[in-house]
Amino acid sequence: METNPTHSRLTAIALTFMAIIWVSPFSWLFLNAFNTASTGQLEIPRSVGLDNFAMAISGNAGRQFLNSMLIAAGTATLSVVVGIAAAYPLSRLRIPGRNAFLWTLVLLRMLPSAGVLVPLYFAAQRGGLLNQLGVIIALTILNLPFTLLLLKNFFDTVPIELEEAAYVEGATLFQIVTRIVLPMSRAGIAVVWFFSFTGAWNEFLLPLIFARVQDAFPMSVGLYAAFGQQGAINYGFLTAYSIIYAAPAVGVYFLLRRNMNTGFAGVGVKG
Amino acid sequence: MADVSLRGIRKSYGSVEVVHGVDLDIKSGEFVVFVGPSGCGKSTLLRMIAGLEPISGGDISIGGVLVNDVPSPKRGIAMVFQSYALYPHMTVYDNMAFGLKLAKTPRAEVDQRVRAAARILQIEDYLERMPKALSGGQRQRVAIGRAIVRDPKVFLFDEPLSNLDASLRAQTRIEIAKLHDTLDATMIYVTHDQVEAMTLADRIVVLNAGRIEQVGSPLELYSNPVNIFVAGFIASQRMNFTAVEQHAGGLRLPGGKLLSIAHGQLSKARTLGVRPEHLHLATPETAHFSGTLSVIEQFGEYALAYVELPGGEMITVKLDGAPDLKLHDTIHIGLPDHGVHLFDETGRALR
Repeated sequence: METNPTHSRLTAIALTFMAIIWVSPFSWLFLNAFNTASTGQLEIPRSVGLDNFAMAISGNAGRQFLNSMLIAAGTATLSVVVGIAAAYPLSRLRIPGRNAFLWTLVLLRMLPSAGVLVPLYFAAQRGGLLNQLGVIIALTILNLPFTLLLLKNFFDTVPIELEEAAYVEGATLFQIVTRIVLPMSRAGIAVVWFFSFTGAWNEFLLPLIFARVQDAFPMSVGLYAAFGQQGAINYGFLTAYSIIYAAPAVGVYFLLRRNMNTGFAGVGVKG
Repeated sequence: MADVSLRGIRKSYGSVEVVHGVDLDIKSGEFVVFVGPSGCGKSTLLRMIAGLEPISGGDISIGGVLVNDVPSPKRGIAMVFQSYALYPHMTVYDNMAFGLKLAKTPRAEVDQRVRAAARILQIEDYLERMPKALSGGQRQRVAIGRAIVRDPKVFLFDEPLSNLDASLRAQTRIEIAKLHDTLDATMIYVTHDQVEAMTLADRIVVLNAGRIEQVGSPLELYSNPVNIFVAGFIASQRMNFTAVEQHAGGLRLPGGKLLSIAHGQLSKARTLGVRPEHLHLATPETAHFSGTLSVIEQFGEYALAYVELPGGEMITVKLDGAPDLKLHDTIHIGLPDHGVHLFDETGRALR
């Protein structure tokens, strides 16, 4: 293509304009977070420091970070463990109507979780589970249909001959699963774990109604509650808190990418 | 080393029976090949011996011990799968050591046995590699090595060469033959390739539709097939079959020529079979068949001539060297004095 100087200058201006529109919310977030005297305006900070971050990881806020971690990691781990135990038999046994069963579960999951909130709440109340364990269990239950479907498909890709070979060599069912099937489905399990983790990390509604004291809030709810706290909005604190809240999602993204790149190689070795 | 005996083995899936009562005795140290078209039940039979497939009826004994209810790992067998079934997340060494480690064999012994097997198969240089870094032939060796390491009483091979290309297949075939000589173990080998069956087997078991058609050494099957199925299946060039009827003291051939032959059951003969390599070119006077040459395949050391008889039947003739024949010319073919097979109306050979 021929380069026309006027044409390319106009393009550059248009692109810059778009870039500013895209970047400004993020610059606002970062500029305020590192500004010790933040006012909530988009401006160059007069004093730069980490005071806001210090505030965002101490006291209640720090406690909420730990709560979020606990809920997200707990949900992800429980989903994967229960999912594996259910998906392996679904993959290997000829259970009549197993696919219809799986898709029915997924259909149920399509219902918005707000729709089942009331029965879920009363069930948790009766069971004495209006706490973080309750949130973990409820989120795991809501996660399971997709977890099952994904894990079953990953297990389906492990050739049955590998399991037969291991069986002939004297492996028990438990050894076959832990030494052959799970290592070969590593990538799939990682994907499921990370998705469950981010899903639970972002979850707002369930923790809000299950944990009604500030000490038990995860960050998603804490962020909401921090608006208008003590009369005025502390923008410096809020922006730092938001960045910390968003960080795990970014971290998970990179971990996931690495896993997806290395995970699938070598499944189903053939000549 | 152990003998294997099958007594009235049956296998059904629901109401469909796929193996209908197989009786077979395999001697200790013997190399037996199950051969047959796809779907004949040969792999099912092997998997039943391996204990991967429950049997619906009959008895299997290995080394004189009834193993019907003995789980696969305790039968003293090792199996080499068609897809090799190497564990892709383990190194070659770990693949070979897997079974021994499960059995809690001391580390030093595992190491010694893995290295001994690797030496036999010349894969010592690949021990630290992952299976995906190996070629098809190398993977095949690892799969066999994994079987050797376990020092089984019986080796089971399920179409182990079918994923290899032609030249590698021929080479690996020779290596398996050598291996059998070295290890002196009982081996049962499943294939649909009659060349592998002919070259490797001490005895061939020809299976068809879940039944044994014939058991015998390769040369027995070649020279004395019991029926049309075996006659047509064994040997690289398929046997020619043609309809015949008794006439005076001989047989009337398609085209009207007479074959004078002395045979006790001539009246029952309905089909004549003759191998392409036993036919020869003849003069119009001495010929038994005459037809036009419709295709000729030159291989250099020999040629295959496909001759169309006036009735539309095709006869294959294998000729030595490079015969100078022209397409669409008339070809005269003579039958040999020996090597003619006669079959009755049910396809059984008349002896």
